[in-house]
Amino acid sequence: MSDRSGPTTSPAVGAARARVPALRLNALGRVFRAPGGGTVTALRDVNLHVEQGAFVGIVGASGSGKSTLLRIVDGLIPPSSGSVEVDGKVVTGPGPDRAFVFQQDNLLPWRTIIDNVGYGLHLASGPKDQVRSRSQALIDLTGLQGFEAYYPHQVSGGMRQRANVARALAMDPTILLLDEPFAALDAQTREIMQAELLRIWSDQKKTVLFVTHQIDEAIYLSDRVVVLSARPGTVREVVEVDLPRPRELSIKRTPAFLELVDHIWRLIEEEVRQGMGVTTFGAQPMASTNRA
Amino acid sequence: MSLVAAQPERSGSVMDPSEPGTQPVLGVPPTPQGHAFGDWLGGSSRSAKTFRLALSFGLAAAVWEVVARYFVTNRLIIVPFSEVVAALAREVSTGQLWIHARITLLEIAIAFPIAVVIGMALGLVIASSRIVQQILDPLLTAAYSVPIVALAPLFVAWLGFGVESKVAIILLVAVFPIVINTEVGLRSTDAGLVEAARSFNATRWQIFRTVSLPFAIPFIIGGMRVAFTRALVGVVVAEFFGAFAGFGYVILAASQTYATARLLGYVVLLALLGMISSIGLRAWEARLAPWREVRE
Repeated sequence: MSDRSGPTTSPAVGAARARVPALRLNALGRVFRAPGGGTVTALRDVNLHVEQGAFVGIVGASGSGKSTLLRIVDGLIPPSSGSVEVDGKVVTGPGPDRAFVFQQDNLLPWRTIIDNVGYGLHLASGPKDQVRSRSQALIDLTGLQGFEAYYPHQVSGGMRQRANVARALAMDPTILLLDEPFAALDAQTREIMQAELLRIWSDQKKTVLFVTHQIDEAIYLSDRVVVLSARPGTVREVVEVDLPRPRELSIKRTPAFLELVDHIWRLIEEEVRQGMGVTTFGAQPMASTNRA
Repeated sequence: MSLVAAQPERSGSVMDPSEPGTQPVLGVPPTPQGHAFGDWLGGSSRSAKTFRLALSFGLAAAVWEVVARYFVTNRLIIVPFSEVVAALAREVSTGQLWIHARITLLEIAIAFPIAVVIGMALGLVIASSRIVQQILDPLLTAAYSVPIVALAPLFVAWLGFGVESKVAIILLVAVFPIVINTEVGLRSTDAGLVEAARSFNATRWQIFRTVSLPFAIPFIIGGMRVAFTRALVGVVVAEFFGAFAGFGYVILAASQTYATARLLGYVVLLALLGMISSIGLRAWEARLAPWREVRE
C-alpha cells in the first residue's frame, strides 16, 4: 500500500531527478583526541547515499557518533578521512544548501522569536523587508503566530524548537539536518512536533537527516533508518521503512511498525546495555568549535 | 493545521499587587489588609520598590540620629544625622557644594568613559588570542589586586594638583575590572550559540557582532559597576594628596578643622553617588539582558 513508487517520495519532483543522490558520504571517518591522551575513533568508514527528498533517520547507542556525523555533513567539523558530497560537490564548511537544527534550541536570548527565525537570513545580509516577510512566512508555517515579539525565555520548550526548525527552514536549504531536536520535549509535545515535521517535510520536499536515540521516532518519520554501531560508529544496517504515507500517529501500534522497532532494537540492544555499564569517555565533538 | 494551544508559559512578571495570598507573611495576623499590604510591599511594582528604598533610608537615618544623640556623644566621631543634613544645606547655600561637586564629577566624567573604552578594547584583544591571554592574565590579576590608589601621591607629584592627576588615577583603578569582565564575558560565550551562528556560515566578525558581544554586554556592565565604585575611592584619595577643590579636598579640609558634620555630609553624598550609579547600571543591564533575570 505504499504511495512511494520510486526512490523519491513525490511524483511531482519528476523522474529526471529521481536518481540524483542529494548527499553522499564516502568512507567517512573521524578521530578525536581523548582528554587523557590517545585517540577515540568516533566514526569509521561510513558510506551512505541519500537521494533527493528522502527522509533518513539515524539511530545508534550513545557513542555511535550520530551527532558527529551530522556535524561533519553540515561542515561544522571536518572529517578525519573520507568526504561528504552534496550534489556532487565536496563539503568544506557550512553552506546555504544545508541547515542544522540543534538539540538545544540555541536561540539567541536577546533576539525575539521572529528575529531568531530570520537570523540566518540576516547573516546572509538579506534586505530587511525580505528577511521580515520570509521570517513571517516561516512563523506561519511552524505555528508560531502570536509569538513573534516574545523572547525565547518567555515561551515553552516546544515553541523554541519550532523557532529552531523555522530558523533552519528559512534558509531554504536542500538538506535539513536535525540533531535530536525533540529530545528535550515532553512526550505529548514530541508527538505533535513529529507530526508537524512530517507535514512541513511533505510540503517542502527537503532531504532530511534526522538523528535520534528514539527508535520509534526514527521509524515513524523516516523512509530509511540508518543503524550505527558504537565505538567506532559505523553503519550496521540500513533498514527500509515500508510504511504508507501520510502516516497517522496510530501507525505506531501496527504490527509492521512494532516489528521494525523490534528489529532495530535488537541491532543496538547489546551496545546500549554496554554503554550503561561502561563509563563514557569525554571526547566531545563540540570541543573543537569552542575557540572562535 | 497547527495543533498548538497558543499560550506562552510566561508572559513577563506581571503580578496583580492587590491579589491576596500569593505570598504568606509569617507572623502577621491574616487580616485581609495585612496580607494585601505585605504582598504589595514584597512585590516588584515600581511604587513598592521606591517605598522599600525610602523605608531602608528612613530606618538608617533614624538609627544614626538615635545613636549619635544618646549613645556616642563624642561630636568628633559622629554627629546626629539632622546636623549633617543642616551642614549640607549650608554647603548648598554658600555655593561650596557646587564648587567641589563640579571638580570631582568633571574628573570622573572625563576619566570613566575613557576607562570603559580602553578596558573594552584591551579585554577584546586579550579574549581574541589564547597566547596573549596566557601572557597577560597573571599581570592583569596582579594589577587588579594591587591597591593602585597607593600610587596616588606619585601621580599628584607627577601631574600636579589639577584635574590631570585625578583623571590618571581614576583611569588606572577603573580600567581593570572592565578589562577582566570584558574578557570573561567574551570567552564564556555559549558554545552552542557560536555553533549555531557557524552553521549559518557566519564570518568571525558576524559571530562577534551578533553572538559574543551581546553575550558579553551584561558582563561589561557588571565590570562598569565595580569600576565606578573603585573610581569614587580613587578620586577621593587622589584629592587627599593635593587638589584645589573636590570631594576629597573638602573632606580633608573639614577633618582638619574638626567640622565632622560637614565631613560626613560629603561622605553621604559620595555614598549616594555610588548607589545611584549602581542602581542605574543594574537597571541598564536588566533592560539589555532581560533573560538573565529570569534565570536567577
